[in-house]
Amino acid sequence: MSAGIPTDHYEPKTSAERWIDRRLPIVRLLVDFVTLPTPRNLNWWWIWGIVLTFCLVLQIVTGIVLAMHYTPHVDLAFGSVEHIMRNVNGGYFLRYLHANGASLFFLAVYIHIFRGLYYGSYKAPREITWIVGMLIYIAMMATAFMGYVLPWGQMSFWGATVITGLFGAIPGVGPTIQTWLLGGPAVDNATLNRFFSLHYLVPFVIAALVVVHFWAFHTTGNNNPTGIEVRRTSKEEARRDTLPFWPYFVVKDLVGLSIILVVFFAIIGFMPNYLGHPDNYIEANPLVTPAHIVPEWYFLPFYAILRAFTADVWVVIAVNWVTFGIVDAKFFGVIAMFGAIIVMALVPWLDTSRVRSGRYRPQFKWWFWLLAVDFVVLTWAGAMPAEGIYPYIALAGAAYWFAYFLVILPLLGVIERPLPIPNTIEEDFDAHYGRATHPAE
Amino acid sequence: MSLRNVTLTAVAALSLGMAAHAQSTTTVTVPLNQPGTQVPAPTGPGTTVTRLPDGSSTVETTGAGATPQAADDSSATAPAAQAAAPAEAAAETSAQPAEEPAAAPAAEVEAPAPETTAAEEPPAEQPAADEAVADEAPAEADAAEEPAVAEEEAAAEEVVEEEPAAEEAAEETPAEEDATAEEATEDEAAEDEAAEDEATEDAAAEDAATEDEAAEEAAEEELVEDDAAADEETAVEEEPAAEDDPQADDAAEATEAAEIEQVIRDVSFSFEGPFGKYDQLQLQRGLQVYTEVCAGCHGMKLVPLRTLSDPNGPQLPEDQMRAYAAEMSIFDPELDDERPREPTDMFPSVDGEGMGPDLSLMAKARAGFHGPYGTGINQFFKGIGGPEYIYSILTGYTGEETEQAGTTFYENTAFPGGWISMAPPLSDDQVEFEDGSPTDLDSMAQDMAAFLMWTAEPKMMERKQSGLVSVLFLIVLTVLLYLTNKRLWWPIKHRENGDGR
Repeated sequence: MSAGIPTDHYEPKTSAERWIDRRLPIVRLLVDFVTLPTPRNLNWWWIWGIVLTFCLVLQIVTGIVLAMHYTPHVDLAFGSVEHIMRNVNGGYFLRYLHANGASLFFLAVYIHIFRGLYYGSYKAPREITWIVGMLIYIAMMATAFMGYVLPWGQMSFWGATVITGLFGAIPGVGPTIQTWLLGGPAVDNATLNRFFSLHYLVPFVIAALVVVHFWAFHTTGNNNPTGIEVRRTSKEEARRDTLPFWPYFVVKDLVGLSIILVVFFAIIGFMPNYLGHPDNYIEANPLVTPAHIVPEWYFLPFYAILRAFTADVWVVIAVNWVTFGIVDAKFFGVIAMFGAIIVMALVPWLDTSRVRSGRYRPQFKWWFWLLAVDFVVLTWAGAMPAEGIYPYIALAGAAYWFAYFLVILPLLGVIERPLPIPNTIEEDFDAHYGRATHPAE
Repeated sequence: MSLRNVTLTAVAALSLGMAAHAQSTTTVTVPLNQPGTQVPAPTGPGTTVTRLPDGSSTVETTGAGATPQAADDSSATAPAAQAAAPAEAAAETSAQPAEEPAAAPAAEVEAPAPETTAAEEPPAEQPAADEAVADEAPAEADAAEEPAVAEEEAAAEEVVEEEPAAEEAAEETPAEEDATAEEATEDEAAEDEAAEDEATEDAAAEDAATEDEAAEEAAEEELVEDDAAADEETAVEEEPAAEDDPQADDAAEATEAAEIEQVIRDVSFSFEGPFGKYDQLQLQRGLQVYTEVCAGCHGMKLVPLRTLSDPNGPQLPEDQMRAYAAEMSIFDPELDDERPREPTDMFPSVDGEGMGPDLSLMAKARAGFHGPYGTGINQFFKGIGGPEYIYSILTGYTGEETEQAGTTFYENTAFPGGWISMAPPLSDDQVEFEDGSPTDLDSMAQDMAAFLMWTAEPKMMERKQSGLVSVLFLIVLTVLLYLTNKRLWWPIKHRENGDGR
């Protein structure tokens, strides 16, 4: 954090502190971590980071306890979940916490990502923060997917079958990869065991990535709603732009977290199966396919993109022809799904505008909100059967998703005339509270 | 506000919250669960239940007698399997009812794999309906079912709100009917029948309710009446449900599918909503119905017998629970022989050809409602509709039968596709309750549905209580944090000392 915002760093005051600090500067690390100078104009969209941190801890803690009572075996898994629900003290609450915690986790991560997209948090010098965030998101999806398999209900089983089937769509090596993932020709005990193992492992990978994420943005400093940097010319000026993370933002974030948890616990207490699927209370049966296989809601946008590119779409036909039939519709869908995440990860280099915050980009705003709506529409379309008008809606949504990142963002930077930007964060903050900035006293 | 004031506020608010919670618990608990009034009652349901296994001393025999053909949802698989390749079976299943206008779409339901749909395992069926709700219906069958459900939801919510005043609900009903009657022309014939049935049943229920006054507490009685009112209303709802498919793209499809639209009738169970509780007596009656009727073909392998005595369940006295368990035997690998079941054993599982699916989690494995507009938010007040689904299946038989691939199918308005392989399991006065509770089909179906909700979610009341305490605590915490935050940021926002720090 040497290149960070100029501020007062930790000074060991007692001889004991000095003794420790010379040998292991852990206190220094922690104190400097929580007193990070943070732009004082952060708005409420910035609370989701702490919600995400809370979710990670919640999921790891509840998950570890659940793992003590769970049995990863095809004959026993379903029953062991019911054992948790019926016999383990407080088990029903733990399990509902864990299952709904995943949904809160994804809700928070989507808002967090869209906040970053609006305020340009991905732009230089925060590209690595963004990329690491995307890696966390992908690891989250992997974890959630494997976790959903563990109860071994019908949706668990058939969801696993469908999703691993995506890898089977890769030309040539696909079936081999699929078999390797599953540990056999089909979803079976080997699959359940490795998914359990990985479901336990990946969250700790996420935790490590989160540390890197923190490290990265503690080096660059937080972005803020104006998108302008904290003044680093002097400690005094930096001081006027920022406040220490503790206590100002910790308390503020906790207010937000607490409000969210009211809703969260109301759902767990009063409608814990709201986001689940009734089919998952039926034990997995390889011989019976559910009439309608749907993934969890947080996968739906990308699931919609996956299904949008059917064989009769001209892009698919063209690509198929160009690649001599190697890329068929199924593989194209898989590419599109992963591509949708990849273009989002590459947005730091696709956005050509030099203005960071969407607040000062009059045209960008419209396109951004359209993207947000598009995301919701894709979520909805992903839950619909792939018939009638829904594939067209999904296709339009998918097309816009790619257009936003690949066409609109690069062009907007050239043609858009941004609005005037405040000179300092201090000025923005004061203006918000209805006062002219005081001259330095 | 100084820190001391904040603390004071905190304590006051916390105690207020606790008090409110305590009060709400007691008030609601008294009518339903007061142990003093119910459990010891010698002629109470407890006794009844103990007697049951005797009556059916061989559970199998009674069950078989009661439901001779009882092939159920999943049992359809067995016949299907018999009939050569599953694909063929599929064709047959779909083809035959196709004569009935209903079935063709049914077979088509979404079906990623036609074989499976035809195989008609329970998992395959309900999901169709489930998703369906969300999916406004390109598939014809879906088209019919979903809006039906959605419709009901919308209407049913009103029911919920109106519950306190049953009469109001009743008054409103005709109005709705008028509004919707014109729309629903085609189905009226069929629907009228159903409505009539309903009406008679309701009447019976109401009579019964009045008779029951001695036995049942006031709150409970209200429930029964409410149910009756709700039923009346839903009987009406069915009509609009059939017809108007605002979401269906294709009007032709909609009308075609209207014949088999799935009708899930709303029941206002005592356990719905954030403060809903199980009705101990109802659970005991449900246990009796299960034991005398359902247990012939359906097991509950995930439900420990000891939980019959758990708080917030049927709460059988422990000796009765033990006696009940001992009526059923289990193979013990250590003894290498059969022995009576212990409280720690599970309910028996019933497998084999013609037997139905396990009922342990049935009420959570089916969803009756997805409204409003497919969001499912009304779960908050009504639950997911699994019990309503069970209730509707039990009361949804039209009396029509058809045979295909050697299996008899019975027309059922609640079953996706309209044809179920389970023979009508319940009929009026099939069971005799010791406490004189009504034994008409409708009441028994409600008792059964409530009991299966308990087997699926035995910790529901504990969960709701924990949820309530958590929410109250968090609200207080939120207020405190908000005040703290306000105090903390005040000098910053008002620029005391230059930069506010």
